Amino acid sequence: MVEPVFLFDLVEKQRSWLSARQSAVSQNVANANTPGYKAVDVTSFSKVMDRSALELAGTNGLHIQTAAFDPRPSSPKDGANWETSLSGNSVSLEQEMMKAGEIRGAFSLGTNIMKSFHGMWMATLKG
Amino acid sequence: MDALEASMKISGAGLEAQSSRLRVVAENMANARSTGPVAGANPYVRKTVTFANELDRATGAELVHVGAVGVDRSPFRVEHDPGNPAADKNGNVKFPNVNILTEVADMREANRAYEANLQVMKQTRDLLTMTIDLLKGSQ
Repeated sequence: MVEPVFLFDLVEKQRSWLSARQSAVSQNVANANTPGYKAVDVTSFSKVMDRSALELAGTNGLHIQTAAFDPRPSSPKDGANWETSLSGNSVSLEQEMMKAGEIRGAFSLGTNIMKSFHGMWMATLKG
Repeated sequence: MDALEASMKISGAGLEAQSSRLRVVAENMANARSTGPVAGANPYVRKTVTFANELDRATGAELVHVGAVGVDRSPFRVEHDPGNPAADKNGNVKFPNVNILTEVADMREANRAYEANLQVMKQTRDLLTMTIDLLKGSQ
């Protein structure tokens, strides 16, 4: 039931992506008054997942390791941010709060799904 | 470092920067009528605060810190008050270039930014709690 969809692995990846996004949001909010600061965001979950499909196994310490799953904040394309102030700062607190709300919802969904699958798993174990 | 821990650190830096800003606003407001010590001397000069972002090597994130506390170079307000100890020989007194209205507006903005940082910090803590609560359902 759980194995075919790699559920726990998927939830863990989603959690890691959401954490990276939360860190991007807090970075934007902290720099909401810094002149010249450009707001950052993390590339969408599906894109990060697509990129991490091919993973090479490193069998030697000298092998170059491909980044397995590494969501990092980067500057989004122009127009993604709602407003740019005269000081060159492109953080909109309202937009950041909305993102924070999305993160909270998705995080809660992920952990609850994990909890419920874990419950089912335990139910089969205990009988 | 875990991204959520980094997030807490970043929000903390934001809170710190905004409270420094509030401190400067408080200084300006408290000294809104501070004249110079001797006759004709320059009064208190309004202070300004600027923020700058710096890369934190441990987390790879852009933290915020107070760049420099500068001074406002706009002219002083001059009032005619010969009875004031700081009045020059023409009876003019220089008062600080502090405008209470500007300071109050700045204070409100600092307050808003502080609240936003606090909100993000609260949410980060909630996310951590949600993760920890996964353990609760596994008896």
